[in-house]
Amino acid sequence: MVHYESTSDHLSATFAALADPTRRAMLMRLGQGTATVQELAKPFNISAPAISKHIKVLEKAGLITREKDAQWRRCRIEAARLKEANEFIEKYRKFWEDSFDRLEIYLKKLQGKEGESNEHRK
Amino acid sequence: MSTENNPTEVVFTRTFNAPRQLVWDAWTQEKQLLQWMGPAGAKGLYAKMDFRAGGSYHYAIEFSGQEMWGLWSITEIDPPKKIVVIQSFSDKDRGITAHPMAPTWPKKMLSTTTFDEQGGKTTVAIHWLPYEASQEEIDTFEAARPGMGQGWSGTFDRLAEYLGKL
Repeated sequence: MVHYESTSDHLSATFAALADPTRRAMLMRLGQGTATVQELAKPFNISAPAISKHIKVLEKAGLITREKDAQWRRCRIEAARLKEANEFIEKYRKFWEDSFDRLEIYLKKLQGKEGESNEHRK
Repeated sequence: MSTENNPTEVVFTRTFNAPRQLVWDAWTQEKQLLQWMGPAGAKGLYAKMDFRAGGSYHYAIEFSGQEMWGLWSITEIDPPKKIVVIQSFSDKDRGITAHPMAPTWPKKMLSTTTFDEQGGKTTVAIHWLPYEASQEEIDTFEAARPGMGQGWSGTFDRLAEYLGKL
């Protein structure tokens, strides 16, 4: 855990950015390729300033970047932060999925379906 | 800006081929909990159960070379059907701590676990809701929620997976 502190900082910013459904939808769109602000705004019935605010939040969280010099400043999704957040979620999910798997094996053992003395995993 | 309404719960469920009393005991007795709770390869290190409403369960699990402490404050017990606890990360001295990787993750989670028996099988459902959470904690929970429980549509997950391939 070398990047311990910075990762936790990222995660808070990432989750705050992802908490909004409009921003999540924007990211989904950007997952298919870069887009201009106008293209991103199209599916939403909200004002230009509101769109621009969402984009700023995403940018600040490091979830997207905008091209520096191109005329349309296309937005691009950045994978690293999203992957970090996904790993965090995945860990939680795995904790309980694995626990359920282990409980299943344990209950089988209790019910006398003996075999090995040690729990084994596939 | 984000969530003005109440957070939606996360649900984990599984059906076990075992009678309810057996599952209930495995879920509520410290020696048994040590045997199964935690991810693959986890080892139960410590377990202290004070099994009553107002009681607690303090435990430690080791996995991937890390020690994780947790605390349940038990608020309701209806054997063998339902147990309600407030679940937290903690330290050795029962102090409640933030999630080590995500400080804005809710520190307290209201966790209601139900046990339903049908034809000798028992369905367990864990329901999670942030408890006494700040708006920031609720937002964090809401952002992560679509990926956590069941019925997960996979948008976020698929997107991250896709990005991983780039």
